Amino acid sequence: MSQVDAVAASAPAAALIRRRPGGARVFARRSPLGAIGAFLMLVVILAGLAAPVVATHDPTRTDATQTFTPPGPRHWLGTDHLGRDIYSRLVHGARVSLAVGIACALLGGLGGGAVGLVSGLAGRRVDTVVQPLLDIMQGFPLLVLALVMTAALGPSLGTVIVAISVPFIPRVARVVRAVALGVRETTYVEAARAIGAGGARVALRHVLPNTVAPLVVMTTAQLGSAILVEASLSFLGLGIPEPYPSWGRMLSVSATEFAQRAPWLVIFPGLAISLVVFASNLFGDGLRDYLDPRLRI
Amino acid sequence: MRHRTALRWIVCAALAGILATSPAWAAAPSPKYGGVLNAMHREDPPSLSLIEEATVSVNWGVAPCYNNLVVFDPVKSQESPQSIIGDLAEKWEWRDGGKTLAFALRRGVHWHDGHPFTSADVKYTFDLIREAPGMSVKLRLNPRKLWYAQVQAIDTPDPSMVLFRLKRPQPSLLMMMASGYSPIYPAHIPPAELRTRCVGTGPFKLREYRPGELIEFVRNPDYFVKGRPYLDGIRFIIIKERGTRIAALQAGRLDIMMPQEGTKPAGEQLKQAVPSMIVTIAAHNINDNILVNFKRPPFTDVRVRRALSLAIDRQAYIQAVRQGAALAGASLLPRPWGLWGLGPSALAGLPGTGNPVTQKAEARQLLAEAGFGPGKPLRVVMSTRALATYVDMATFVIDQLKQVGVDATLEQIESAVWFAKLTRGDYQLGANLTGIGADDPDAAFYENYACGSQRNYSQYCNPEVDRMIDAQSQEPDPQKRAATVAEIQRRLETDGARPILGWDLDYFAMWPYVHGFVPHNSVYNNGRFQDVWLSK
Amino acid sequence: MRTFVVHRLGLAAVTLAGMSIVIFVLLRLAPGNIVDLLFSAAGYVDPAEKQRIVHELLLDRPIAVQYVQWAGALLHGDLGKSYRYGLPAAQLIGPRVPVTVELAVMGMVVAILVGLPTGIVSATRQNTATDYGLRIFSLAGLSMPAFWLGMLIILLLVRVTGWIPPMLYVPVRENFGLHVLQFLFPALAVGYRSAALINRMTRSSMLEVLREDYVRTGRAKGLGGRVVVYRHALRNALLPVVTVVGTEFAFLIGGLVVTETVFNLPGVARFLVEAILWRDYPVVQNLVMLIAIVVVLSNLAVDLLYARLDPRVRYA
Repeated sequence: MSQVDAVAASAPAAALIRRRPGGARVFARRSPLGAIGAFLMLVVILAGLAAPVVATHDPTRTDATQTFTPPGPRHWLGTDHLGRDIYSRLVHGARVSLAVGIACALLGGLGGGAVGLVSGLAGRRVDTVVQPLLDIMQGFPLLVLALVMTAALGPSLGTVIVAISVPFIPRVARVVRAVALGVRETTYVEAARAIGAGGARVALRHVLPNTVAPLVVMTTAQLGSAILVEASLSFLGLGIPEPYPSWGRMLSVSATEFAQRAPWLVIFPGLAISLVVFASNLFGDGLRDYLDPRLRI
Repeated sequence: MRHRTALRWIVCAALAGILATSPAWAAAPSPKYGGVLNAMHREDPPSLSLIEEATVSVNWGVAPCYNNLVVFDPVKSQESPQSIIGDLAEKWEWRDGGKTLAFALRRGVHWHDGHPFTSADVKYTFDLIREAPGMSVKLRLNPRKLWYAQVQAIDTPDPSMVLFRLKRPQPSLLMMMASGYSPIYPAHIPPAELRTRCVGTGPFKLREYRPGELIEFVRNPDYFVKGRPYLDGIRFIIIKERGTRIAALQAGRLDIMMPQEGTKPAGEQLKQAVPSMIVTIAAHNINDNILVNFKRPPFTDVRVRRALSLAIDRQAYIQAVRQGAALAGASLLPRPWGLWGLGPSALAGLPGTGNPVTQKAEARQLLAEAGFGPGKPLRVVMSTRALATYVDMATFVIDQLKQVGVDATLEQIESAVWFAKLTRGDYQLGANLTGIGADDPDAAFYENYACGSQRNYSQYCNPEVDRMIDAQSQEPDPQKRAATVAEIQRRLETDGARPILGWDLDYFAMWPYVHGFVPHNSVYNNGRFQDVWLSK
Repeated sequence: MRTFVVHRLGLAAVTLAGMSIVIFVLLRLAPGNIVDLLFSAAGYVDPAEKQRIVHELLLDRPIAVQYVQWAGALLHGDLGKSYRYGLPAAQLIGPRVPVTVELAVMGMVVAILVGLPTGIVSATRQNTATDYGLRIFSLAGLSMPAFWLGMLIILLLVRVTGWIPPMLYVPVRENFGLHVLQFLFPALAVGYRSAALINRMTRSSMLEVLREDYVRTGRAKGLGGRVVVYRHALRNALLPVVTVVGTEFAFLIGGLVVTETVFNLPGVARFLVEAILWRDYPVVQNLVMLIAIVVVLSNLAVDLLYARLDPRVRYA
């Protein structure tokens, strides 16, 4: 089960969430692991952003004299079968993998949030149309839908992002819809309606603040899932295409073939993926503990 | 009495002397019968129909079922006219000044379903391939129709005799008939059926094909070569994941590698992990090359094409992309691995083989003459399929082009779409591999370089080269022919018809208990396992 | 209750129908079809022959017509013929289903055997070193790409022991021990992730329940700590866990796909991926519908289970 599904499965049907006081410091104190996760993520994001500076070599330059060199002073994490520096490729790959992960998480989160809000607030008729559509999309296992969509749309950066985001939308929408429905039933909102507050106003002032917490938690969960799904797609040959460097592709293309001769080809990209997903999971856990313990998994 | 005893002693001594001093006798173990060979296979063959397909995944995996008229001797690694031996044909000869090829066929041979084999099957097979007028049956795919374009008619005066009547002499015909791609099909079975099952005359019968899992053969007890095969059966085990394949061979789950799977790192690693593993270096008869779209600017400009070929350092390619396990060469397998290809000394002076610095400088100059330079860089897109081999090739080429100021980017195309793009001419540069079914100029040139040929993806067309190809095809004098062929190869390289980056070498590995298998300098023609035996 | 069940069944049917349309259309959006791939393997194209095969496979009919023809056949139990292999799809899919199911089941068994006890331990020793250690261990399981884990297992096996599991499927009847060994390692690779989820779910459920009043009451009454834990807390904490396990099967597919590829198991998940790459429409469509039916039915079962237990849900 994806992280996202797990979060969705545990969200209470009607949750009125109180906002927690305090900021980053309280967060760090309350959840040290979460703070560590956030810090790790920040490091990786910064490394990715500053890739041209942080990298030691040109990630695409092949060098026939330096193939399969083990990690050492000249090539910190070794080189691959074409003589390319692994460390530099990882750093540049961080950009792409993170960008794709964040884009998918945001698209899925925002898309799902919008759909969920509309479905929850716009009345019965809209809901009865949207609900089955969500069920249909959610019926496909995440990887399968992403696979078919990537095949359908062709391998490009854009299509991979869309293909991974789309399966997230129904899962997020479901949670947001549940919150919206719950909030709508409260007397507080009924009172607001009675004095004539319009639908949009209700949405903005009452529903939205309460959806922030589960939305944020789901989005961070999606980041990890997106990176993992992209890696699996690359492994199967349908992920982010050349020439973008991608951690998933570093693992699939040639790495397994040369793994016994040059284990660093398999170990480091895998560690990179695991580390980032691990950090985002830590951060997501901490965030959830901070925002509302009741959503805890 | 005493004479006879003395004679006996002399004879015994002589025999003992011969036995003791003959290393061959002492060393060569005698073949054992029995056992099932577990052979590596990397993917499902597109179909089981050998004649209709053009990938080694079919030759390796289906060939044990069939026989040819003639084959390349399995124990000789270099395939040549001298290594051709009879399979279903006992004897053959050229008649009518090289315009008729007559075969005397073996008698008493039967198809796996019991039907007798006759010359009618041979006529049927080749009429099918050449799409002879009047043939009611048609192949769905027919990649090698060109091979038999010179056959005018096929006569069968009796059930054991076949005569191929040619429009003009073609010495290469025999070479192509010996290729793994030239099995004889049964006339009594529709070709469509042979896509999913196998009925041949070969040493093994197809027992089961489980798609995605294995292709299993059992010995043919009625095989026409008495005492063969040695093996009880063969299992081609399909493992899609490359790392897992190598690990399986290393762990002994597989006994023998698949041709074209032996990269240098894999071979070295296997040898290191299992010192007793037998690793033989052989050629594939497959070359890595670049497709240049002749019909699309700027490659319509010969200067740009030449600059492209000059910019790519072949030796660097071999070192960088193939870890040194490849040969520089032109359009035919280079000597001494092949028969016709230009060797190292003959290659000197061709684009990409000289001093890389001067050649790149020359490339930059040519590009400048063509109107490209630092202010107006040439932008090209190199298309490639998503497979590791192609991507590595394309990555290297792009890097080399960058060094002469060409702004090259990589475009990844899915397999399902790749081919359509190629045939539409919807590409600029493409990474490509070209396999050659038999080490012969006719097999290589007509398909890939003749004007208008279906597989001439670049749409290269040089009428003079076409004339030379036709001339060498019917040239009876071997020396004159060799000279023409060498000239054609030089021409193709200087024209930049399909810049050849290298000919890959195979580090073919098998366990020491596998005997009787000698890797050939071709991946296509040695998959019958008739004389292979196991000593465990 | 009955209207609820009928309502749910109706919804399920609509969902399945909708899914069939989505997969049908998505597949045909993908550029290139089986005919392109067949010819690309041969390296050339014969336009007349291509047209003939397209017509033979009904690929030139309007999409709606193709859909009706497929859906109609499917409802009659006819799974059609694989474009790639020319064999009946049922014959290809049939033997592969038990392999995947077995791998999924063994993965779940591993997940429960590892996840449940560690979740309990983690909950009862909250915020100790053990708890942190177990939480990091389970989080690692959620963070690792499944194929990476599988690949590492194979490489370690061959490097350290010179042995890897059999590459050909070993039926149970042929050799029970080897069969178990063949599935053990992939089950570990697949199960690690599920174990992590179960661990986390168990831990959090138990923590919640342990805080509840009746547990405090139980403690106040003087019942021993262990009794409290196991009798009251665990039973209540198990319900969400059971739900997760119940729906987990369908979501395992992602891990199953790559694990079957790495360990060379002839399962249905891996077969699906190859069919997609080969544009083998009948196989992909029917397999996806099969998975969809499993997913929708298991969701339905869980919903019904909840409805029985929680009256509030029935009238929602």
